[in-house]
Amino acid sequence: MKNFRIVISGEGGQGIQTIAKIISNACFRTGLFCSFLPSFGVEQRGTPSVAFLTISDQKLLQPTFDIADIVMVLSERALKPVVKYINPNTTIIFDSSTIAKESLPKNTFKYNAAPMAEYASQKFTPKAINIIATAVLTRKINLNDQNVWAEVQNTLGAKFKDKEIFRINKEAFEFGLYLILETEKFTKPTFQTKHKILYFKGHGKSAEIVPERCKGCGICILKCPVAALKFSQDLGFYSLSVPHVDLEKCIACGNCKNYCPDGAIAVEKDKIISDFLKQEQK
Amino acid sequence: MKSSYKFITGAEAAVLGALEGGAEIMYGYPITPSTEILQGWIEKAQCNKQLKYLQTEDETTAGFAVIGSLLAGAKAFTATAGPGTILMQDPMSMAENMRLPFVAIVMQRGGPSTGTVNFSQQEVFLTAFGGNGDGLRVVYSPSTVEEVYLYCAKAFSTAWKYRFPTVVLGDGHLSKMTTGVKISKLIKPFASNPILPDSGEPVYLRNCFSSEDEFYNDRLKKNITDWDNAKSKISISEQYETYDAKELIIAHGSVAQNAKEAVDIFRASGRKVGLFRPVTLNPFDSERLKKIANTVKKIYIVESSLNQLSHIVKYEIYDAKAQMVEISKPAVGFSSNEICKLIMESD
Amino acid sequence: MVQTMPKSWNKETKPHMFCPGCGHGIVLKQLGFAIDKLNIASNTTLGIDIGCSLLAWNFLNINTVQTHHGRTTATMIGYKTAKPKRIAIAYMGDGGGYAIGLQSLLYAAFRNDPITVILVNNGNYGMTGGQEAPTTMPGDVTPTSPEGAPEFGSGFKGPELVASIAHEKAFIVRATVSKPLVLNSMIDKAIENQIKNNSFSFIEVLSICPTNWKMNAKQCFEKIDVMEKFFPTGILKGER
Repeated sequence: MKNFRIVISGEGGQGIQTIAKIISNACFRTGLFCSFLPSFGVEQRGTPSVAFLTISDQKLLQPTFDIADIVMVLSERALKPVVKYINPNTTIIFDSSTIAKESLPKNTFKYNAAPMAEYASQKFTPKAINIIATAVLTRKINLNDQNVWAEVQNTLGAKFKDKEIFRINKEAFEFGLYLILETEKFTKPTFQTKHKILYFKGHGKSAEIVPERCKGCGICILKCPVAALKFSQDLGFYSLSVPHVDLEKCIACGNCKNYCPDGAIAVEKDKIISDFLKQEQK
Repeated sequence: MKSSYKFITGAEAAVLGALEGGAEIMYGYPITPSTEILQGWIEKAQCNKQLKYLQTEDETTAGFAVIGSLLAGAKAFTATAGPGTILMQDPMSMAENMRLPFVAIVMQRGGPSTGTVNFSQQEVFLTAFGGNGDGLRVVYSPSTVEEVYLYCAKAFSTAWKYRFPTVVLGDGHLSKMTTGVKISKLIKPFASNPILPDSGEPVYLRNCFSSEDEFYNDRLKKNITDWDNAKSKISISEQYETYDAKELIIAHGSVAQNAKEAVDIFRASGRKVGLFRPVTLNPFDSERLKKIANTVKKIYIVESSLNQLSHIVKYEIYDAKAQMVEISKPAVGFSSNEICKLIMESD
Repeated sequence: MVQTMPKSWNKETKPHMFCPGCGHGIVLKQLGFAIDKLNIASNTTLGIDIGCSLLAWNFLNINTVQTHHGRTTATMIGYKTAKPKRIAIAYMGDGGGYAIGLQSLLYAAFRNDPITVILVNNGNYGMTGGQEAPTTMPGDVTPTSPEGAPEFGSGFKGPELVASIAHEKAFIVRATVSKPLVLNSMIDKAIENQIKNNSFSFIEVLSICPTNWKMNAKQCFEKIDVMEKFFPTGILKGER
């Protein structure tokens, strides 16, 4: 008997809807009754993205429900909209690299976790988090993994034309299938937005980079005329990489400040030095 | 201002009423039978430089310009009809969501579509329940030119006090007829204030929300609660010869005037008929109607639309024991004799 | 202390809700710097459209009102009429300005209404998923033009149209996010035109949309180069 009410949630851009689409299509093709209802806020990439899946071997009436059997949550921010679907019998599957167990509701018995975002970033590609998550869910609800992989290819077909992308995603899927989920001891969520401001000082300049505001768009790196900016290990708002600045190369042209859509970076010449230079010029 | 007795049209009375209510700015687009309200206002503005106006390129712009002005704290309004009322649903919905004191004078004409420019009572649904919300709009239905004056003034106070879009719903006959009207000073109008302040902390106004829960909890719930609390304070009705009535006519607007005469005709022949006239179509004075509805045997709902008033009445007194008869002539007026005839035909 | 953002940006509402790499962020930053420089935060009211611009509803430390789609120009005209001494800015995208709101925009120019309109042109309807916009360039593929935007009815040249109907005292310019300092000075001039000449000003800003273009930063700025060849930047009306 397969009867599941599943809620999946994460950041917009993490591919939550894709996970739900793949799983629901796979279920449909194997003759199960299922429905998939996306729920999303107004912001294209700015709000948590939530998907509701109902799977049953009997005819379904409704895509919405009160309590979920499984809640899969892939980012800390995405926890708030789904707390109301959790009761003591719900299994919560969460990304332990970005979410602390302490932030989860305490009224449930079953926690499963894996540091999926960290694995994706380090072993495959950040975007592969949804492939790993799809595989984990496949195992959890006992779907035939070959059927699901066929759906992955169906859905992401266009992207898979690139052999390298295909290989990485296939490996990520396999990886997810054989992941042993943490149930008691959980990884510490260190793969999180750095909450401190990064200060750089030297060579007569001062810089500030604010990971909490940085969305890893890379425009500052592109627009730096002297290649003084590079992505670093620090993580920003969507757990994407944040740049660091090499003040020796930097000429304080102001480009990064003027181009950054998020107000997350600026470099200024130190006042003392510039005053001194003005004196020298007189 | 001393009271005076003037021989004026409904449109002129509307302008005088708006001025009495403290109106400062009007935006509008010419549309029969409301055009004279815009022109009348513009005439007044020539002598009084405090008054502002703009003939906009369409009704939608007129409505949103009204909103812009009231955000700045000015008592702004518009006047429209028929196809213009349809376009007005866009700004009225914004006002309904954001609790803005939007005032519109609507002179009904035949519909749907261009229909006629003359008369109807077919914009009841549109003004009371139109837009994409749940109908939190105040609708006054004046039945005489004097009431047009009165409710055009009152509309501004109601709007600025309770912050729901407020409509004065007349019709082409009221707008175009000339008759004697007593113009007197009314109660001091409720003061307006800038909704976006001139100083202090900036104010952010939004009408768009990200989730259903957020929308309901942060916006709709308060609006509905405020509406529920305000209903009994806003709703008005009138009763005519109902003290011993066995039968009741329910009619609004100018049709109610003919219905009053019909009541007199019946009474003269010994038939005990009374009239319940809702002045506010929304919120409806259901308290009073419920009381009277249970004392009569038969109720006649008389209107110049296909049962729009009847829908409201039947909703409000669904469990009345009286037999309810619908007498409707969409987009066509009634004479008092005709009302009597149609009632007798239903016997 | 290094200044990473304009003083007139509301720090409490950052990080904002625009997508990573969104051109709106660049435009709003230069608008913020202009407001700082002119010191007009307490005297300015901003109207925004429905579309991605709606995300700016609590973005700046100035009075802001979210209107309906295509109705921002009309609302700010009403506001300015009641408060002629305050500065009224209407902020919208290519749909709000050139499709549903085109009529209002043209009439604002036609009447020389003393408001400043800033229109962000990223060649698609971002909020709803990237559909064809009036400014989508001919041949560009979108969800509602899978064969590419048609030869006729695409690549709308807004500032040119508005300039042809505007009063000579109006200030009309097309700027681009690829030149943020120029954009900043154009915003300055536009607002000055409202204050000093009591006249209409209009800035279209060519902008990027990484999410719906499905491009990274480099590709986005390459596309903007192409856009700048199709939509010439520069001042179309007013003082240089």
